[in-house]
Amino acid sequence: MKINTTRFGELEVDKKDVIVFKEGLLGFESLKKFFIVDPGDQTLILWFQSAEDPATAFPIIEPKIFKPEYIVKLLPAELASLELGSINDASVYTILTIPKVVTDMSANLKAPIVINNKTKLARQIVLQDSKLEVRCKMYKELKMYIVNYSSDDSTRTKSSKPSVASMPDLEEQQTPAIQSTDAQANKEV
Amino acid sequence: MLVLTRKLGESIAIDDHIKIVVVQIKGKQVRLGIKAPKETKIHREEVYQAIQDQNTEASQSDLQSLSELSAELKKK
Repeated sequence: MKINTTRFGELEVDKKDVIVFKEGLLGFESLKKFFIVDPGDQTLILWFQSAEDPATAFPIIEPKIFKPEYIVKLLPAELASLELGSINDASVYTILTIPKVVTDMSANLKAPIVINNKTKLARQIVLQDSKLEVRCKMYKELKMYIVNYSSDDSTRTKSSKPSVASMPDLEEQQTPAIQSTDAQANKEV
Repeated sequence: MLVLTRKLGESIAIDDHIKIVVVQIKGKQVRLGIKAPKETKIHREEVYQAIQDQNTEASQSDLQSLSELSAELKKK
């Protein structure tokens, strides 16, 4: 299906790539359907684009990239609400805030987004751990990762995670040619 | 909203397994003790507000700031 977006123009999104938040996100309770857009700028930052509101999109990143020791512990009821047997069957993302001074960027480690890889059910879950920050500064760690690994895309596509609608290049954002990778194919790599 | 008056040391039971006790009253501050099963999530209301604010701010990010960030990140 074709979905219009403010930032990326019109995108072709496969129905199976649509992520469903039954409760929406905090402050965005009315928006239930999202999909992931990869701007292809090699920063490992992706976007959670609303399928219902063209203007709403959140920059996101996998927290393990800049904080390998970050573990999401879910309560049995939370796992059940996502129809998950184990957190290993889920993808975890954190929402980024990017202020004017970009090096002050921060990630919300307190309330990550957890997506069931199979059913695409998702929730923003507020973790009980009081040491986790809503605005965790992480520019330095991310930069270190990107400089060290020169952000090879292969490190990303290897993991089994929801497929993304990928943008060929930021400069070519007008081009409607969007490739959607197949989640199943990714899993078998 | 149900409103109850409690004295120091008194408590409120919610369902069968949750108990809230007034532990201390000091001027304008009240300290509460909460006894609840492990799977009950308890947060200060401000946590939700902070997350909501962060979500709202994040949703307003534009591609311009992202490309600035991207350039900055790729600088050796």
